[in-house]
Amino acid sequence: MKFPSLPWSRLGSGFKSYRNVIRLVLLLLLLGLSGYIFYLDVTIREAFEGRKFAVPARVYGRALEVYPGLKLTSAQFVQELQRDGYHENPEPDTPATYKYTLNGVEFTTRNFVFGDGPQASQHLSIKFDDGKVSLLEQRGDKNVDLPLLRMEPPVIGGIYPGHNEDRELLKLNQFPKLLIDALIATEDRKYYTHWGIDPRGIARALYKTVTGQRIEGGSTITQQLVKNFFLSSERTLTRKGTEVLMALLLEMHYSKGEILETYLNEVFLGQDASRAIHGFGLASHFYFDRPLERLEPQEIATLVGMVKGPSLYDPRKNPELALKRRNVVLQEMASQNVITQAQFIAARQKPLGVVQRAPVGTSPYPAFMQYVYRQLQRDYREEDLRSEGLRIFTTLDPLIQRQAELALQTRLGELEKSRRVPANTLEGAVVVSSTQNGEIQAMVGGREAQYAGYNRALDAQRPIGSLAKPIIYLTALEMPDRYTLITPLDDSPLMWSQPGTPDWKPNNYDLKFHGMVPLHTALAESYNVATARMGIALGVENILDKLPLYGIERRPPPFASSLLGAFDLSPIEVAQLYQTFADNGFRTPLRAIRDIVTADGKPLQRFPLNVEQVAPAGPVFILTAALQGVVRVGTAQNLVNWLPADLHVAGKTGTTDDLRDSWFAGYTGDHVAVVWVGRDDNKPTGLTGSSGAMTVWGEMMKNLQPEPLQPVMPDDIEMVNVDPVTGLRYDDDCKTGEMMPFIKGSAPNVISACAFPSKDTQAKENAAEGAKVRPGDKQNPSKSWFQRLFN
Amino acid sequence: MFSGCAGVTTQPSAESAAAQAQPEPVKSENKAVIALLDLANTDNEAGRRDAADASLERALRIEPRNPWLWHELAKLRLVQGQYEQAISLARKSNSFAGQDRHLQALNWRAIGDARVAQGDSAGAERALKQAAELEQSQ
Repeated sequence: MKFPSLPWSRLGSGFKSYRNVIRLVLLLLLLGLSGYIFYLDVTIREAFEGRKFAVPARVYGRALEVYPGLKLTSAQFVQELQRDGYHENPEPDTPATYKYTLNGVEFTTRNFVFGDGPQASQHLSIKFDDGKVSLLEQRGDKNVDLPLLRMEPPVIGGIYPGHNEDRELLKLNQFPKLLIDALIATEDRKYYTHWGIDPRGIARALYKTVTGQRIEGGSTITQQLVKNFFLSSERTLTRKGTEVLMALLLEMHYSKGEILETYLNEVFLGQDASRAIHGFGLASHFYFDRPLERLEPQEIATLVGMVKGPSLYDPRKNPELALKRRNVVLQEMASQNVITQAQFIAARQKPLGVVQRAPVGTSPYPAFMQYVYRQLQRDYREEDLRSEGLRIFTTLDPLIQRQAELALQTRLGELEKSRRVPANTLEGAVVVSSTQNGEIQAMVGGREAQYAGYNRALDAQRPIGSLAKPIIYLTALEMPDRYTLITPLDDSPLMWSQPGTPDWKPNNYDLKFHGMVPLHTALAESYNVATARMGIALGVENILDKLPLYGIERRPPPFASSLLGAFDLSPIEVAQLYQTFADNGFRTPLRAIRDIVTADGKPLQRFPLNVEQVAPAGPVFILTAALQGVVRVGTAQNLVNWLPADLHVAGKTGTTDDLRDSWFAGYTGDHVAVVWVGRDDNKPTGLTGSSGAMTVWGEMMKNLQPEPLQPVMPDDIEMVNVDPVTGLRYDDDCKTGEMMPFIKGSAPNVISACAFPSKDTQAKENAAEGAKVRPGDKQNPSKSWFQRLFN
Repeated sequence: MFSGCAGVTTQPSAESAAAQAQPEPVKSENKAVIALLDLANTDNEAGRRDAADASLERALRIEPRNPWLWHELAKLRLVQGQYEQAISLARKSNSFAGQDRHLQALNWRAIGDARVAQGDSAGAERALKQAAELEQSQ
């Protein structure tokens, strides 16, 4: 056939040219049709290839390390097993089963690939005594002691492709034959022989269209797959036509096996809140909490039955309909000899057996997941996160997270009730990290922790108030010749003029001035004026310059008011700040991710521990002692209502103007935690740091049973017996006074007479008279005079 | 569970030879930590630095204030060529070392080695002098 090169030049030349026009139109139609087919071909192949491999990233929490001596109760351990999807079984010898024993648990772990390699399934036995693990053994002919077990980490969420599709990708040979046979018996008996379409089905559909009935049915597995790719329930003739064409094209390009495999992984089988359940592999876990190969015939039939209507036949929502449908499928299976008559009779008598579980959506920990996701976005392309099946190992500890969520939720409710605040007006956020390695163990973004809304832990930027004070005190304590814990500070009225800002007259919270106060008291009582005066003497810029060292990247305005925390930080930034104080002056960037591994188990990226010493250990040790004073005798002394004094918790309250923000930041031997309480509309809450946030902190820590805070004393520190009010020094064996840390050489030299019989008035009188100078001591007379005057 | 151990058989004998020469200090009372230290050692000897790193971090989660573990991590950073981190971690080990002069000396040696590698000969000299003084004062 010759192509007319310039057809329009021949138009108008009689019949011949008329025929040419028809020919041209036909040709164009053909071209258009083949173009359209080509377009469909490309589209369907793209969809097929794309979906074949789209596996969401799986995000895991921390793996629990279990060893003899670990503080763990048998109830907590079983909770962990259940979180990992273990089931009670009288013979716990298949993976992910357990049973209770007299004082422990017998269980079998799964095979699991960690960031640093695979770990094989093991038969184990664990015993508990007095709240601790007392024995860990490998079960066998002869039990063998095991020093340590790393449990499989719990899945805490996923990063999903469009429409939050979740799936577990399996190869065709990993699907049980029974499932495939059941599917084909029910959905498409001629699957292995047809070309992708069922002409009779199509004829029926056409007939129904012509007679004005609903278009339905007649879809082969191939057509259903096409339909699944382009999520649209539109039922028109063109759509049906497109579907038929695409099904034919798909069959031309791919084998029956490939199409079936993709279908089995792709088919939509239910909804878990925001998460869409795709494929039989995931559906098996979602409905039965077991892998496909361990499903029984009636359970397979339930899943196959759902293909027809995943919502209608949802065994949790509509159990009766699901059961009826299941039995129809079993009937089909029997009639096609997929199961025997005996199997059929046995299977149809069994209950549905679906596991009950609350919908969790994409993750039960949305605040933490958001943090993980933001960190990943720096290094990974979005489509890789959503489709490459990456396995991401994080630091979240579900036990700690649970306590943080509970404490925030219950305390905010109680506070509203006891203070007659309208219900559900208070909001809050919690961040908990591990003291020595900066791993984020819990993050709560609001009182409804499961709700993936505004994440206050990351995004609520609020003035931090007195939480800023330790920065000033540390700057001062780094100059031991000028400042020690007993240096008197001036808490008399202050007015500060600075160009560009109105005159600044800071006030104390109690609206009083306290004259001369020792440094440790000024911090314990959170005196604003004394602190501001010291900060101005040290230089506002000098202090703000320190923030980047402690990991705070944003710079507050260079005004004196910044000294008292008139700048905004988020709870996570405050956690970073206090991490350095808690960790002896070593800054460790907060971490949420440990390892990333590819879908086939190859290590992709590690986020190793990083430390940098940013403050000298001695002054940080003294600061911690002062922050312990805040809890022992200062603004946080009510913390004792939650935590025993012998934990020696260090912490700081923060309250902002008009009681808008209530903060508490503090640390124990093993946790650093920050709590913010306030309102989203930034109105006053009526709460101080100690009446609001601190109570959440205390409630949470009480349930975490933290380690006591006992920092190691650096070499340049000496403990000296002083009167904490007057700053007078006593001999170390004197019963009067209090041992306080000093950088060597910075403690007062005057030794006061010790009046051991009495600790109060008599001691002080004697002390004032009996002050003496040690031979050879360089003494600063004005200081001791001053101290005596102050007394 | 310690599948990483499999396949490396030469290591234990070399270890025990070293142990005979000088008594190894007790790095932990916790068998789990000892097991992880052994695992880290095996992986490190086999050149699997990331696996060794992971095991040391696991041990540190169990005993976060154990100065020997921080020291081991400092030594690992040294062979990984991360000298600043090696120095920081050695310092951190010292911050938990209390009166253990032997360990303090080892940390100063690690700092000295890192300084040498960084080309800071003056800094290296100071660190190694500090190590020598601590060794003598033991």
